[in-house]
Amino acid sequence: MIKKIQSVFLCFALVVTSIVGIGQVATVATAADFPSKPIEVVTHAGLGGGTDTTARMLLIRTRKNLKNNAYITPKKGDSGNKAMSYVKSKPKDGHTVLAITPTHLFRMARGEAALTIDDFVGVARTTVDPIVIFVNAKSPYKTIEDLIKAGNKKPIKYGGTNVGSVDHISGLIFAREAKTKIAFVPFEGGGAIMTSLVGNQIEAAGLNLDEGKDQLDAGELRVLAVMADQRMAALPDTPTLKEKGINASFATVRGVVVLKGTPQSAIDKLEKGFLKAMKHPVYQNYLQGAGLDSSSVAGAKAWDTEIKSIYKEARAALVSLGLAK
Amino acid sequence: MDIFSNISLILDTKTLALILGSTITGVLIGALPGLSSGMAIALLLPFTIYLEPSQAIAAMAALYCGGTFGGSITAILINAPGAPPAAATAFDGFPMAQKGQAGKALGMAAVSSVVGGVISLMVLITFAPTLARIAYKFGPPEYFALAIFGLSMLASISSKSPVKNLIGGLIGLFVATIGVHLTTGISRFTFGVDELFEGISFVPVLIGLFAMSEILVQASKSELLLERIKFSAIKLPSITEFKSCGKSILRSSGIGTFIGILPAEGGTVSAMIGYNEARRWSKNKENFGKGEIEGVAAPESANNAATGGAMIPTLALGIPGSATTAVILGGFQIHGLRAGPYLFEQQPDLLYTIFYGMLLANFIFLVFGLMGAKIFSRISLIPRGYLWPSVFVFCLVGSYGLSQSMVDVYIMLISGVMGFFLRRYGFSPAPIIMGIVLGELVENSLAQSIIIFDQNIFMFFTRPICLLFFSLTFLSLFYRPIKNLIMKGKKDE
Repeated sequence: MIKKIQSVFLCFALVVTSIVGIGQVATVATAADFPSKPIEVVTHAGLGGGTDTTARMLLIRTRKNLKNNAYITPKKGDSGNKAMSYVKSKPKDGHTVLAITPTHLFRMARGEAALTIDDFVGVARTTVDPIVIFVNAKSPYKTIEDLIKAGNKKPIKYGGTNVGSVDHISGLIFAREAKTKIAFVPFEGGGAIMTSLVGNQIEAAGLNLDEGKDQLDAGELRVLAVMADQRMAALPDTPTLKEKGINASFATVRGVVVLKGTPQSAIDKLEKGFLKAMKHPVYQNYLQGAGLDSSSVAGAKAWDTEIKSIYKEARAALVSLGLAK
Repeated sequence: MDIFSNISLILDTKTLALILGSTITGVLIGALPGLSSGMAIALLLPFTIYLEPSQAIAAMAALYCGGTFGGSITAILINAPGAPPAAATAFDGFPMAQKGQAGKALGMAAVSSVVGGVISLMVLITFAPTLARIAYKFGPPEYFALAIFGLSMLASISSKSPVKNLIGGLIGLFVATIGVHLTTGISRFTFGVDELFEGISFVPVLIGLFAMSEILVQASKSELLLERIKFSAIKLPSITEFKSCGKSILRSSGIGTFIGILPAEGGTVSAMIGYNEARRWSKNKENFGKGEIEGVAAPESANNAATGGAMIPTLALGIPGSATTAVILGGFQIHGLRAGPYLFEQQPDLLYTIFYGMLLANFIFLVFGLMGAKIFSRISLIPRGYLWPSVFVFCLVGSYGLSQSMVDVYIMLISGVMGFFLRRYGFSPAPIIMGIVLGELVENSLAQSIIIFDQNIFMFFTRPICLLFFSLTFLSLFYRPIKNLIMKGKKDE
């Protein structure tokens, strides 16, 4: 009897150890059976903000496509640097994904960030939201040339979000390239910029189309130019700065990346899962609601090239403006 | 008005159940320090895509209403405001609970919240498109003038010595300067700690100054001094008490609705100013801070009125009136809907569904709050040895949960210890909280105004709204000395 119990116990112990053993093997052999645990998407922004909402909308169908759970970890602070140092501490197995925006790239370009541009690879682009130059509808500036001319006499009061943000840098680069002057007025968010513009507190502002769309349609605001290489589908009559010979293309682009060194097969699976999720009406409706084009979505190769070029431009811009060494 | 002819919009079981569920979830989440209704709505967003758009938005709006009310429960019972807008409720709510009047405080909070909420909703449905334009009149200079007016009550916000109140206010203002400066991008007092770059987060300071310092106060009391259980703790307020607060509730509802409309400010500032004004006009000024029932009614009606107020620019202009309404606007996007003038003209059904959803939410938490008051108030009867250690766990989890950062927990502990010593030496937490709430607004709006005014600060006096607030500030500071002078002059004659 005792022997029987002993043998049952032994068998049980054997099974337990082998399961534990398999578990250990599984964490090593990530490439073969990716994903083997839930996928964590690390964001740098507050809950309910653009980055957070985009990530949540992306994950709804991604979970189904990868037949795996996925969740969001917000790591707010220091212009995305907290999120970057958190991701850096994670294994390079594709289970940790970082949602990045120009904020991260500008933070890196300023130096002393947790990650450098060569530490990660792009997986997919989720949104492209060009910066649009708005003025009040009653403003005397009817075209971008009017605004540039006025700025030469007296700096234009130009609103945007925080110092060092893509709004700030794009405004400065626009001024430099157009040979005009701006006095940058920083605000805490798009809503405050927009109300100040309608209320005539400031003269112009660089906003995402969505942030000023209601006021544009209501006839309170006017758009002068889009900071992009091509005209926006939603604003077919608004010229781009490029058309006007001003070399300043900036957008709030969002996308996801993983650490360099992640197995290619895992990246491929992630990319496929994300891209399929973004083709689904759930995500497409969201894009449309936000006034964005379905061409916002792009795959790993295009996104990775784009990240590198944004970084290069940001770095050059910051150095030339004396904001980075 | 044909407002009530559309009530059938929400009269189906699914919508009603959703609103009921969201409101109660909102109250519970609002009551827990460190969990906010904005966070809850953000987490709810992806799930709402399976609902009808109008149901989804109504559910989110109901959660917002419930969440704002919920904050008062913990503020009153354990001095731990569940959300920043409930900070001012703790000033008098908790002293009431300690005097054995928890039920009265909770009952008053529920009723005044509903009055504030309903008044602001009525304003929303009747005047929203017109009133929303106030938001455009408020630029940085106007916010600066408003914040200065708010700060003018600093010296008298609590019954403690005015000098100590001013010192407390300065501590608050100092704390608000920590972090990266808005217009220059320079970081101040961060000592290289990454977590401090975006400033000291408000919630851990709130939990520390109120709840944590209370734990220390309770721990230092001798067990022998324990007051006996008072059966009156579960009593609700009487009709006379409601009547005596009527004026304060109405005034605060107006203040709350107005400040709620302003995109940069919301429930927290409304509650502070509502509390200040209640004290200014009250006959029992010296009772404030010691458990005055008007001191609960005023901030609660103000912060709930701010929810309806915040929905005004959100719905009428598409500009979020608060952090939570920003998330609700995100909900609009997900459903391919658009707020703004368009909503009022072309989708009145959606508008009415939101309106009824919020109205219903107010009545749900009234019932829940009044029935619950009798049950919740028993928490104040739990022996201290059990209650406060559990509150401590609450404090830790609440401050960590906000952004999963240990730095926030340290901030909570430090402010707790600071709060304990400050209270010991006769300081009240109220002016400190006020300084932190208004400090950032004062500084940022001044820096922005200076750029807008081309460095000429005298331009402030060319703006009518600024002049109005500056004169109110002047009156509130010099009303008494001037009155005394005039009286003296009369005597001399």
